[in-house]
Amino acid sequence: MKKPFNYLKNFCIFLLVSPFLAVWVPSILDGLLTDLTPAYRSSLVLSFQQLSITLLATLLFAASITLTLGYISILWSIIGKIIASVLEAIESVPAILIVLFSYAPVSGYLASHSEASSSVVSLMIFVFAATLTILPESIRGITLPLGELYYQKYSLSFRSYGFRRRKILAVLMGTDVMRHAFKRIAAGILLKILVLDCSFGFIIQLGFGSYGTPAHASPGALIAANRDALFQGGSPLLFWLPVLPLVMISIAFLLILTNSKENEI
Amino acid sequence: MFAILGTMGLVSLYFLAIGVPIEKYAEAGYSFLLLLTGSTDFSMAHPGYSASAIIMSGAGITLPLAIISLVILVLIALSCAAISTTTEYLEKKHGNKIIPKFLVFGKSISILLAAIPLFVGFWVFGESYGNNAPFLLIAFITITLGGLGWDASRFLLTDMHRQMGTTHTMVFSTLGLPLGRLFPLPGTFSGYLLSSSFPRFIPYLAGKVPAIIGGVTIAEIIFSFPGLGSTLLDALLVRNTDLLIASVFILLCVNAIVTFAVKTVLFFLYPRLYEKAI
Repeated sequence: MKKPFNYLKNFCIFLLVSPFLAVWVPSILDGLLTDLTPAYRSSLVLSFQQLSITLLATLLFAASITLTLGYISILWSIIGKIIASVLEAIESVPAILIVLFSYAPVSGYLASHSEASSSVVSLMIFVFAATLTILPESIRGITLPLGELYYQKYSLSFRSYGFRRRKILAVLMGTDVMRHAFKRIAAGILLKILVLDCSFGFIIQLGFGSYGTPAHASPGALIAANRDALFQGGSPLLFWLPVLPLVMISIAFLLILTNSKENEI
Repeated sequence: MFAILGTMGLVSLYFLAIGVPIEKYAEAGYSFLLLLTGSTDFSMAHPGYSASAIIMSGAGITLPLAIISLVILVLIALSCAAISTTTEYLEKKHGNKIIPKFLVFGKSISILLAAIPLFVGFWVFGESYGNNAPFLLIAFITITLGGLGWDASRFLLTDMHRQMGTTHTMVFSTLGLPLGRLFPLPGTFSGYLLSSSFPRFIPYLAGKVPAIIGGVTIAEIIFSFPGLGSTLLDALLVRNTDLLIASVFILLCVNAIVTFAVKTVLFFLYPRLYEKAI
């Protein structure tokens, strides 16, 4: 009974993240949203395309750093303590402040260069800043279960066979517990980036208008650009249309997180 | 110390990145010193910004909003964890099947609320209240939307679940004390579970303070409150370095004060665990 339920759950998650698929396959949207102006329609598609690129790029970058630093933290405990202190200091600064500060120095460059190059630089800055804000929690997500496995469960028996710490950790990284941890971390990273990217896009659009950085499009900026649609005389659809897929995608990530946490119990 | 060093570190990196001349470092350092000493007009490059005005925007808006949000976060997490654990206890021990269905409904609602972006909630409420939105409502939205409340409830619930299977909890449940179904009060079953989970929950709360401050900052910008969030954005808009330094410093101070308050609670309740937590 559990397997069909899991298939259903996975199917639901797939449906919830389907907006990403829809924006990359234009034929899916052909018959839909015909009442909207072409400019709004293309902004909507572009913002979700760029969001998917941002999520993927940050996930790959953040996950590779998380895995490396998480592994090193357990392998060499002194380095682990140093990394933990640095990450604790980073975690004490609000994420939105880190992103604002990361963009401030390059705002001049982004404004004076072509759209294509500033878009790439903007994405790189965001990936860097978002990774910085994500790392403390994601590395903890690796080191806690890995450390528990290493120090409390398997270390003695593995050591009695003469395995070295590096080999033991490599074996432990492939266990079911760690696989669940990776899944949970990936969903957590994606959710945080989604929230950060959209919140930041919204605030910048609110404060600086369309000339503000980041130069890469974001559904948050699109929502902010159409925020007055909620007032009398406006078309609320323009405001709610980007919100709906954002909520759907967030629910998908939250479902993955909930599932992983239940497995943890 | 964290706020001073943090501000110096962030601003130095910023100056380094934009490549300002060396005199600018000295000017900014002097302005920062004037701010620390509470000078009426601390900014030499941009006169008109007084240290007390910026401190007041932090103390009058950002700090109370952050503290109210933190209190709401704790209340929501405690209540959700108590309802969930006692319901599962009743289901396992007494075969009660009706209440768990309500629990599933409640969990679905909490996921839905967590999935709604914070800024969308602020903007929708802002439309009704304008700049007169009550602090309590803003704090409530900061916690319920965007996932903070959901995450804290999940954290506490997971921890209390682990305690449910232990022998000492089973022994406690035989004493016939009330369950504490809505709130984990002392002397109840859920209160007993909470007392075991509290030493891990308090450091978790301390870690969530920056996220709360971040949410409050977004609220201040959207509701146009004269708090630190708006000041920070204004500073970036007009490229006022002194104002930027002051806002970052006060924001980090607020962060440090709230974190300190949370850790003080841990120190008084669990002095031995406090040492481990720091």
